Amino acid sequence: MWGTWSGESAAFFAFAALMLGGAGVMLSLKRIVHMVLAMAAVFLGLAGMFVLLEAEFVALVQVLIYAGAVSILMVFGIMMTGRKALEQAPPRRLHEAASGGVALLLFAVLFYAIRSTELPEPGGRPAAADNTLAIGQQLYTAHVIAFELISVLLTVAFIGAIVIARKEA
Amino acid sequence: MGDLLREPLTAGNALLFLLAAAGLLLIVLGFVTYAIYFERRVIGWMQLRVGPNRVGPLGLLQTVADIFKLLIKEDTIPRKADRALFVLAPVLAYVPAFAVLAVIPYTSGLYFADLNVGLLYYVALSSMTTLAIVLGGWASNNKYALLGGMRSAAQMISYEVPLVMSVVGVVMLSGSMNLRSIVAAQGDWFWQWHFLPQLIGFAIFVVASVSELNRTPFDLPEAESELVAGYHVEYSGFRFAFFMLTEYVYVYAIAALTTVLFLGGWHPPAPFLDIVPGLIWFVLKFALVVFVLFWLRATFPRLRVDQLMGFGWKVLLPLALLNIFVTAAYMELWIK
Repeated sequence: MWGTWSGESAAFFAFAALMLGGAGVMLSLKRIVHMVLAMAAVFLGLAGMFVLLEAEFVALVQVLIYAGAVSILMVFGIMMTGRKALEQAPPRRLHEAASGGVALLLFAVLFYAIRSTELPEPGGRPAAADNTLAIGQQLYTAHVIAFELISVLLTVAFIGAIVIARKEA
Repeated sequence: MGDLLREPLTAGNALLFLLAAAGLLLIVLGFVTYAIYFERRVIGWMQLRVGPNRVGPLGLLQTVADIFKLLIKEDTIPRKADRALFVLAPVLAYVPAFAVLAVIPYTSGLYFADLNVGLLYYVALSSMTTLAIVLGGWASNNKYALLGGMRSAAQMISYEVPLVMSVVGVVMLSGSMNLRSIVAAQGDWFWQWHFLPQLIGFAIFVVASVSELNRTPFDLPEAESELVAGYHVEYSGFRFAFFMLTEYVYVYAIAALTTVLFLGGWHPPAPFLDIVPGLIWFVLKFALVVFVLFWLRATFPRLRVDQLMGFGWKVLLPLALLNIFVTAAYMELWIK
């Protein structure tokens, strides 16, 4: 496995480092705006992973929606709040130790599950040359009911948000 | 370029790509330098002034002198600014601006990346610049900068929606999001280019793209009479230069994108004009779009904030949706 060191695996490790680094830095930062930026780095790393999996459409939607829109909306919401770094809470040793233990346990479970799963061999279905086209055709033929239901759900959420915002204004 | 992109990546190829990117950067910097000069001369001419004419022959070196001044200026960072973000914001604004140029095809053979989601790539990356502008405004710790940043975020998000919606019609007609295929789908005669069949889409695209560029009449993020200078009040020297550079690189990108999507890219307006190379046609159309952008700036007053948001959500978005429906109905009834 380690013998075949290609550009792809180099890119994989670069994106993995970006994601893990972003996630780790996000936890240690004090200011919320900095945290959002660290999170945007994680989103960008994830988009890079999608590119490596030859899912360009999902990758760019990831950049557009998460790294772009969601981050901007979060900054937008946070901007008006105070700039002071959050007060340092008194350390709670027992609480921290318990969360560390649970996190390790979760990692163990996930790691065991991933290692013991039989992953299907890739190549069962040939990858579409234009996967955007393929996604579109799947969405509007096989999954059209789910797609329509999600559209209705989003519209309801959208109208609900407007109603709440109008009441407060 | 096409065959080169499909070869396996070797050190020589990587060097070649790097040189090509550096060449494009030089061309873009040259464009920005002379676009600023051209803009000042054109606006001066339209307003019955002379414009810059002293530095160098005909004032041709005016922008060079201005850039030199910016580069040797003292680099100031306000003491109460968020230092890390303040430094990072101009970089974060410029990188996507240059990166979006990768998908622009200049002729059928001259392009940098052949991406089958090229249009989406452009839209996705340009939204990162909005984030940088907001962060720059916030990091300056200045109320004018913050207001400018907020306005910019609201405006760019609001107008991104009609911008994307307006090109859906073009994507439907050409059946692809690859910018090369979109140009190839446009016919030989100029009335077969997308700007006539997609007239509503074209109009919405022009309005929304001027707004995305933060140019007059939509230059509210930096309305100097209300906000001093908007999100870059506290920036000076080369950091300010980077924000300016970002704006003008987006002018380049939007002009090229308009040419590709609506004006037939490298196609000549009539088949018998084929003797003139495609690149010349591309540059001519590109220059026309840039000139129209300057023309708009010289002749329009600025919108008010409330008018701006209302116009984006209540006029442009419904029109763009209508355009999609009309295009779909037309394709279903006549083309199928």
